[in-house]
Amino acid sequence: MAVTIDYSKLRILPDPDTREWWEAARQHRYLVRQCKRCGHKWFPPNIPACDKCTAMEISWFETAGKGVIHSYVVVVQPIVGAFVSSVPYVVAIIELDDCKEADGTVTRVAGVLTNAEAEVAIGLPCTVLFEETNDPKIVMPRWRISGEADDTWKFSE
Amino acid sequence: MGALTDKYCIVGVGETPHLRPSNRTTLSMACEAVRNAMADAGLKPSDIDGMTSYQAADSTTSGHVATALGLRLNYCLDILGGGSSTEALVAHAIGLIEAGYAKTIVCFRSMNGRSGRRMGGQIPGGPIPAVNAEGDNQFNMGWGWTTPAQRFGMSAMRYLRDTGCTTKAFAEIAVAHRYHASLNPKAIHRSPITIDDHQRSRWVVKPFRLLDCCQETDVAAAIIVTSRERAYDLRHPPVFIMGGYARTMTESPQWNYSRPVLHYVAGNYGWKRAFGMAGITHRDVDFISCYDAFTFTTLIQLEANGFCRAGEAGEFVKGGRLQIDHELPSNLSGGHLSEGYTHGVQMVIENVRQLRHRADDACPDWREGKHSYDRSAGCRQLRKAKICCGMAWGWENMGSCLVLRGMAA
Repeated sequence: MAVTIDYSKLRILPDPDTREWWEAARQHRYLVRQCKRCGHKWFPPNIPACDKCTAMEISWFETAGKGVIHSYVVVVQPIVGAFVSSVPYVVAIIELDDCKEADGTVTRVAGVLTNAEAEVAIGLPCTVLFEETNDPKIVMPRWRISGEADDTWKFSE
Repeated sequence: MGALTDKYCIVGVGETPHLRPSNRTTLSMACEAVRNAMADAGLKPSDIDGMTSYQAADSTTSGHVATALGLRLNYCLDILGGGSSTEALVAHAIGLIEAGYAKTIVCFRSMNGRSGRRMGGQIPGGPIPAVNAEGDNQFNMGWGWTTPAQRFGMSAMRYLRDTGCTTKAFAEIAVAHRYHASLNPKAIHRSPITIDDHQRSRWVVKPFRLLDCCQETDVAAAIIVTSRERAYDLRHPPVFIMGGYARTMTESPQWNYSRPVLHYVAGNYGWKRAFGMAGITHRDVDFISCYDAFTFTTLIQLEANGFCRAGEAGEFVKGGRLQIDHELPSNLSGGHLSEGYTHGVQMVIENVRQLRHRADDACPDWREGKHSYDRSAGCRQLRKAKICCGMAWGWENMGSCLVLRGMAA
């Protein structure tokens, strides 16, 4: 477990657009936004209208929380206090397996990986997990690499 | 060519020194930068009747600056803006003058970018208070992904994977811009560096090393725009605005990592309009400037604005191509990477000085407008500096550019 985040130094403040998302995370459910009119899905969930059809009648889609790493960074120099003792840690953008739309759009989400830098590569499958934090109101979704793949790419120094 | 081509000019530029820290207020620095720009143009306070500025909730306002300097404005506007706002506000100024709202407009940016509010987080090395993650920040700061380096790094990583480019291409940009800074007495970092220096510098966020990242500084800068008719009477030969754009991506007007290509940016959609308006091709461009918040952003701006094909910028910049006296000199003041960080303004200022043939370098004779063009003597004035393309910002939410020409072109 590479990442230890100190949520006494980082207060997540849910708002009317995001309260349900954080509540779902507490129930170990990973949501993305979904448009009630055209079905389009997106992330992050604080965006209150559909960027395809402009509808503000929006709902949620509960994903299975599985996807493929589309890109990543390795944070070496922390700049937010809560992460000072966590470096180096990996943040990834993940393409969700169950959010592929007919026109080719794939919903991507971002999150911190529990795996170490040595294990991460673009193209690897990963799965969400939910971790309690020292803020009782916040359960934080994280991602872990959960398999292998043929077509992967790793940053070479 | 567009109806507005060459109808408006940049006639004055001015700034404060890049410092860290300034030990001054953003209001004080803004006043000095605007006053310097008025002096540069040879304009009195009563000649200025419009003012615009941009900030990230970290600065002063047009009203404060105008009050302090005794300007009486017919038009004033302060926007929330970022790295592409300089060119956008210059374009905005043209529209305002065209519509009759004002006759001569100053655009400024003032920021304590080092000692004041820093982008994306808290102050490293200082006391670390608890921080609130609200709005957008719930979904990035919550997992330690806040700084521009961390966010551009994500696009850069995917770019490296998609194109086969390596960080040696990043190094080429760091080396070129540092070399230009070595000829600039105002630059924060003036010691030339090598590709190896870049490759050995410490990691900030992989794939970015220290020498991939800009120099956060405290600074203010200002640019004055007026009509061609007025421009001819002023202190310097006018610099003509040939064309430009300021726009978002078609697919994605705001930060959206589901957009099809993570490293596509707004410039892809704007340059044809700007070049068409200017009536030029890329071959007519003598030098460029780009928003080098990171080395990587230079690469994607070169591709986005059509200087090379998508995926080929890594090859394009090899062999010092962006250095002075090579094919396409870039960021001749040293840019954000080495001169300091004005959130986009200094590139326009440098381009104006180059087009006037008044680069304020270490060349002993430049104040008389004579340049030796001898780099070993500290001269960074381009011999052929007639047309430039200034490109700003390397993200999807906004990109802009200005094509400028000097009197000789």
